Amino acid sequence: MDLQRRNNVQVRGDGPVTVVFSHGFGCDQSMWRFLTPAFESRYRVLTYDLVGSGGSDASAYHRDRYGSLQGYADDLLEIVEHYCDGPVILIGHSVSSIIGLLATVKAPERFAAQVMVGPSPCYINDEGYTGGFSREDIDDLLLSMDSNYLGWSSSMAPAIMGVPEQPQLGAELTNAFCRNDPDIARHFAKVTFLSDHRADVAKSTVPALILQCSDDIIAPMTVGSYMKEHLPNSELVVIDNVGHCPHMSAPTASSQAIASFLERIPA
Amino acid sequence: MTVASPAGDTLFEHAACGLLLARTDGVIVRVNATLCTWLGESAESLMAGRKLQDLFTIGGRVFHHTHCLPMLQVQASVAEVQVDLLHRDRSRVPTLMNIARRAEGDAVYDHVAFFITVERRSYERELMLARREAEAALEARRGAEAQLQALNAQLSRDDRRKDEFLATLAHELRNPLAPVRNAIELLKMKAGAAGPSRPLQVLERQVGHLAHLVDDLMEISRITRGQVALRRQPIDLSHAIRAAADDAMPVVSAAHHSLALSLPSVPLCVDADATRLMQVVLNLLTNAAKYTPPGGQIWLAASREGDQAVITVRDTGIGIPAQSLGTIFEMFSQLTPALDRAQGGLGIGLALVRGLVELHGGSIRADSEGEGKGSVFTLRLPALPADDAAAAPVAPAPARAAPEQLRILVVDDNPDATETMCAMLELHGHLTRSAHDGAGAQQAAAAFKPAVILLDIGLPDMNGYEVARRLRAAPGGEALFMVAATGWGQEDDRQRALSAGFDHHLTKPIDFARLQLLLAEALAR
Repeated sequence: MDLQRRNNVQVRGDGPVTVVFSHGFGCDQSMWRFLTPAFESRYRVLTYDLVGSGGSDASAYHRDRYGSLQGYADDLLEIVEHYCDGPVILIGHSVSSIIGLLATVKAPERFAAQVMVGPSPCYINDEGYTGGFSREDIDDLLLSMDSNYLGWSSSMAPAIMGVPEQPQLGAELTNAFCRNDPDIARHFAKVTFLSDHRADVAKSTVPALILQCSDDIIAPMTVGSYMKEHLPNSELVVIDNVGHCPHMSAPTASSQAIASFLERIPA
Repeated sequence: MTVASPAGDTLFEHAACGLLLARTDGVIVRVNATLCTWLGESAESLMAGRKLQDLFTIGGRVFHHTHCLPMLQVQASVAEVQVDLLHRDRSRVPTLMNIARRAEGDAVYDHVAFFITVERRSYERELMLARREAEAALEARRGAEAQLQALNAQLSRDDRRKDEFLATLAHELRNPLAPVRNAIELLKMKAGAAGPSRPLQVLERQVGHLAHLVDDLMEISRITRGQVALRRQPIDLSHAIRAAADDAMPVVSAAHHSLALSLPSVPLCVDADATRLMQVVLNLLTNAAKYTPPGGQIWLAASREGDQAVITVRDTGIGIPAQSLGTIFEMFSQLTPALDRAQGGLGIGLALVRGLVELHGGSIRADSEGEGKGSVFTLRLPALPADDAAAAPVAPAPARAAPEQLRILVVDDNPDATETMCAMLELHGHLTRSAHDGAGAQQAAAAFKPAVILLDIGLPDMNGYEVARRLRAAPGGEALFMVAATGWGQEDDRQRALSAGFDHHLTKPIDFARLQLLLAEALAR
């Protein structure tokens, strides 16, 4: 299988250890663009798109394989196996931090460390657990996914309003970012927001950094505490940030927290 | 005269869209009156530290987090995002939202515009609903198609099993017929000059019927399973028709019918298997004779119509009701079961006729003006061009003679079969021994040193092919004349038999006349 084509794998930088970046729900690997420069001087940096997102091969999207997060975890292991020699450092955002968790459970020897940005093992509230959402909330979310993806397709992107003071924005990104196939996005949303991997958390022994935002409705503080409590070899760092993407809105604080964590773990 | 234009502030406050200015963390710093009115809120309340995302439903908030914020971060704008805003009374206000992120000096602000989309949203909901329904319908159709396919597969499996059952049944019925026929032959020979008694005649006739039925059944099941190979060659139809008429004469005259033949004066040639074609015409004639009250009239005619050869068999018989015309060529379709039974029919004959005609690339149809008004069967075959008249006549009946003595070993696991066959052969002056399995056959062959071995293929201890191979390999084996007998008169059986070392292959029940021809051949060696 052509992994490069399937997952649009990109490798940059140079170093003895590879850092693998796995993006979250809704976007693609471009969301790492503010964070990766801090790593490229010391590490080999690998970014990729989840199948069905960004520049991945949409024809490889099979509802059976990607009907659970394990399918994505198996993809990740294939990529690590194919592109990397020694154990890697994994940085996963949102749902990808759980995908990464499943990968570390299946093949712990392939990972030296895992950084989880805004992880949530279960989005829906349960007895003694606050995921932040009720089942009705999730249904409402899936409905707004529906209406927002109604007119969207890769061939028909709405006009982007001109914003002159964004020189860092490459033209190739302007119309492509977050433009995913509507049917896949809806299915991925369902798989993501209905997943419950609380039982897997305790099984991952790879050293972990939980990067928690101070104000994040997707992964509220209660979830960060739950992760810290149940993930065996973990530490929790809270970043002062509104939203779910500290690596975009607070890239410096994020990369500093990650760098200091990586210094503390054995290489 | 000057036209009063609204002041800039009025333009912002009362714009035809909701306008809002927020910090990048979402905290609202300005909001216009239009939006306040839509939300049932005051500007003071909205600007008291509340955030843009607080105005959204949960779904909208998640979409804002996972899509809008990253896009603002990367491309500083989003356009045409569908969000429901929450009115002060918790009702939903459907809107379309655009955001542009701009630097104002040192600070960065998000400029947000909302447009009410009640009508558009309900239209889109309908579209979405229609799409879902279409998808569900498509899914249902796929399901139904899959079900239909499964059902079809089941049906053809059942059909195949039925065909296999019929083939097996015919095969099993054929085996016991062989010794019965032999026994009748023996009794006839013993009767000598006095001729067979009436009960024996009945027995012979009825066993003949039975054998015929079983043959038909065997044939039709072979046709449905595609196992019949035609031996086609150009033949003159008139020869075949005359031969069939000759064969049908006993039945026709027994019922005091008269048969009128009308044949073309020039050769009418078709590319056909002469035996099969005769079988077809004979079948139609026998049917006509059967279903016509005594003293009736039967017309058998052949003619050319363009590039087709047309054979018609017409009678003054009981006719066919209109509703049965479409189904009489199907197996086991019976007009009136009671009547059919009285006539000794199983409804196989016409199915066999149609099968054979279709194998020849022809067609057959039945017509009748109704009950009591007779029937016409019309058979059409592709005719060869008129000048292509080098037709072979239908093979003449074989002569029978095998006067000299042979040592013959008969091997069959059915003792009745070996006993009657041996008796027949001895009546014809031969010396015989019998064996009932493969091991016995080898011992008997060594002790009795036969010139001819008649060997059944289905033996209890080993199959006849294996026995043949061993006999052939034994001392003196190369001179043996070996004849295989199987219940499956199939071409691949024949091939297997020949490659196992048999000289000939016969189908059970064994036609004694054919066997005698083979014995003559053995004597000539």
